[in-house]
Amino acid sequence: MKESDSIPIGSMVPLTGISANDGREFRNGLQMAIDEVNAQGGILGKQLQPHFIDTGNQTAPVLVRAARTLISEHRVHAIINGYNIGSQNSEYEPVADAGIIYIHHNTLLQHHDTVTSDPSRYFGCFMSDPAEYWYGQGFIKFISWLRDTGQWKPRNRKIGIISGPKPYSIVIANAMASVSAQFGWQIVRPPSMVRSVTNDWRPIIENMRELDPSVIAVTHYHIGDLARFQLQFMSAPLDSLVYLQYGAMHRSFSSIVGESARGVIVGTVIGLLHDEKGRDFALRYRQRFGPDSTPEIGCQPYCSLRHYAIAASVAGGTGAPGDFTANRRVARFLLDIPYRGAVGTIAYHPRWQAAVPYPDATQDPSLGMPHLFYQLRGPDDPSALIAPLPFADSTFQLPPWVR
Amino acid sequence: MGKTELGKAFLCIRHGVALWSNKNELRVCNDAFEKRFDCFCGPIPKGISLSRLVERAEQTGLVVHNEAGDGAETSASNCSLERTLFFSDGTIWKLEGWETDDDSVITLCRDVTDEVRNAQVLERATETALQADRTKSRFLRAANHDLRQPLASLKILIYNCISARSEEEREQALHAMDVSVSIMEDLLGALLNIGQLDAGRITPNIQTFQASSILERLRLQFDHQAREKGIELKVVPSKIAIESDRALLERILANFVGNAIRYTDVGRVLIGCRRYGTKLRISVLDTGCGIDPQFHETIFDEFFRVTDEQRERQHSLGLGLNIAKRLAEIIKHPINVASTLGKGSTFSIDVPIGNILHSNLGEPEISERIGGEFVGLSCLILEDDIHLRDALSALLDRWGITVLTIDSFEDVEAAVRSLKEQPDIIISDYRLRGGVQGTDVVGRINDLLEKPCPAIVVTADTSPPLIESIRAQGYPVLIKPVSPPGLRIVMHNILFEPEFVPEIS
Repeated sequence: MKESDSIPIGSMVPLTGISANDGREFRNGLQMAIDEVNAQGGILGKQLQPHFIDTGNQTAPVLVRAARTLISEHRVHAIINGYNIGSQNSEYEPVADAGIIYIHHNTLLQHHDTVTSDPSRYFGCFMSDPAEYWYGQGFIKFISWLRDTGQWKPRNRKIGIISGPKPYSIVIANAMASVSAQFGWQIVRPPSMVRSVTNDWRPIIENMRELDPSVIAVTHYHIGDLARFQLQFMSAPLDSLVYLQYGAMHRSFSSIVGESARGVIVGTVIGLLHDEKGRDFALRYRQRFGPDSTPEIGCQPYCSLRHYAIAASVAGGTGAPGDFTANRRVARFLLDIPYRGAVGTIAYHPRWQAAVPYPDATQDPSLGMPHLFYQLRGPDDPSALIAPLPFADSTFQLPPWVR
Repeated sequence: MGKTELGKAFLCIRHGVALWSNKNELRVCNDAFEKRFDCFCGPIPKGISLSRLVERAEQTGLVVHNEAGDGAETSASNCSLERTLFFSDGTIWKLEGWETDDDSVITLCRDVTDEVRNAQVLERATETALQADRTKSRFLRAANHDLRQPLASLKILIYNCISARSEEEREQALHAMDVSVSIMEDLLGALLNIGQLDAGRITPNIQTFQASSILERLRLQFDHQAREKGIELKVVPSKIAIESDRALLERILANFVGNAIRYTDVGRVLIGCRRYGTKLRISVLDTGCGIDPQFHETIFDEFFRVTDEQRERQHSLGLGLNIAKRLAEIIKHPINVASTLGKGSTFSIDVPIGNILHSNLGEPEISERIGGEFVGLSCLILEDDIHLRDALSALLDRWGITVLTIDSFEDVEAAVRSLKEQPDIIISDYRLRGGVQGTDVVGRINDLLEKPCPAIVVTADTSPPLIESIRAQGYPVLIKPVSPPGLRIVMHNILFEPEFVPEIS
């Protein structure tokens, strides 16, 4: 295929390292979207050509190098990927210098700060999911909703928060702590920070036993660590609801933890809906990538690419590095045109250039990305989507270890 | 002008023109008339009567409304020659007619949409102007009515103050003047509220939020006042989310609580909530003097007071409940009152219960200043270039960090003593004023602090031996100009994941 006939699209995905599970799904999701767009004629007749770079441990130098390679060697018009946690937005600089579009799912509040600090420079940087901050606020509202609607009667007002060491986990833990009192909750002490996650969670669990909270929220997100936490928790469970951050949504979490995962609550500000669009996507994804693939993760770059293709088509085409005018037009239509896909609606906030969350920041489910709460069931069962309406398809069940 | 030319003019005129026989049968009409009454399959049938034409236009939906005017009817038509027709395309046309010498009738149909709309706009503007005038007059009357009293007091008190013979007398007069000024302040505030209400300038902003957030603010606002009066103010906490305008609801409840404290001399004032189906009733109960049942309705009237004596004694303006009632009407929340003379009163407002998941926390904009990973931490900056220091301070402030600075590096001990809080991290320039090295100052500061804190050194000098020597002292180094992502990474690691900072691990 000749260069001029195609639109090179870059993707920075952690195909090795601790996030390799998610990285593979990100690659699959993007590839599937590109293949579908190409089969439908591409963007104004031009076929999309993906270029993947492995970001391994996702540090700033790795991300900056990956972005530079994609821009200078592959001349990509856009970079679209899942998350890379750890670069602290360093890769925004080469992207802004080249004036291309960059859509990611880093789920970081830092994105708001960087973009609003210089909107003209970072016009092309979009975060296609809401910032992690919303996890904290949304979770406290969620457990208050369970309490106030009588679905669960907490035995006391206490919440124990355990944070991982990454900014993502710290921000979520801080947000939970800061709004707890407003909703009638009391944090047992400032969020416990797990400085470096070890295999042994028992000292922390025992500490929680002494503090006796009705809810334990773990904001660390790594699948393996969360699986070890849950297994160790279940060896002598506390009479508390357990919330585990994002990673527990992954199929491999259920594979490791098995029946002990039943009843765990997991949240995500971007996930696969259980509606017609979501089911259809999941079916096609599993048909293509196998029954053990995770469409819940692959749907993220898939939807972002589909959204980008629409915006670029309306804008009259994409822009190579240096073509600020064309890419500014694409950015304008990304902001102007919401996209309703398998993850709900991507509606970018005009200043944050990040997806607006529902119901955390908008009361209109058609204009926000749903902040979903799942409850895990058995290892072979699909997780139950229990909030928010109108997306929920199941109801909360008291976890088996709660009396 | 010849008849042919007249005929041509008749056909070309943009208004619809039609000629009817003395038996009220259509003889001829121009194109504009045909076009306007396009409700036949083809041209308007010759010989049709005017009333039948209008009837047909209505039956086919071309005309949606038809108003007969005061004009005369022709003997033959039995149909008013003057009527206004409202067409389905939104336009308004006026039909006017004149009898000719031979008892025929000529009608003119013209588009008066703009005329009618302009007249309506003018009418509304006139009404608004008149209302504003009435409001202004009422405002001035009210101001005159209530400001006169404290002003008169103030005049006497100023004279008393000037002629006071002792310090004690002067102090008494000054205190009384202070009270008079407070009353005038309250009055002007209340009149301003009334003014805004009259002018229709208050637009509600309905959101879902926690009732507790308002209850807590009321407690803070009135606790001191209640204590001064020797009564208890009790607020029963609530966990319910409500749908209302946060500011307007607070103003209504503040009026209730202010009144309750004003009219209660012994006992307590209680603010509590109770769920009634889909509503939350927020009540303010007092053990005050109570209200005679005959006044339960009229207390919400403007300038209502039970007695003049009450007004004198309580500095009541008689506006608070009127404002509360009018604000409640704006946000459509019913107000209730129950009271027994001598026992106390309960004022309450019923607010819709909201979905807690939709709660708005009242934050103007989500940013790192509110929820970032560094929120609540403090950073000591050692940098004597004021521009660099300001830029770094602004960046850290955006991240929710409290910035501390030291201006003088000569007396470090005094400078550290003057810090308003203990820093969590230090960012120091390597070369400070007077040949002082940042690493030395950091060392001295850490010796003085209860809990030594980690530090980052920034320098414009890129010589490898220098950077190596700073690192060897246990400090990570950043080269100027410092990029925000670079600083963020080092700050995060040094504070939360020190194992990733080779210099200190």
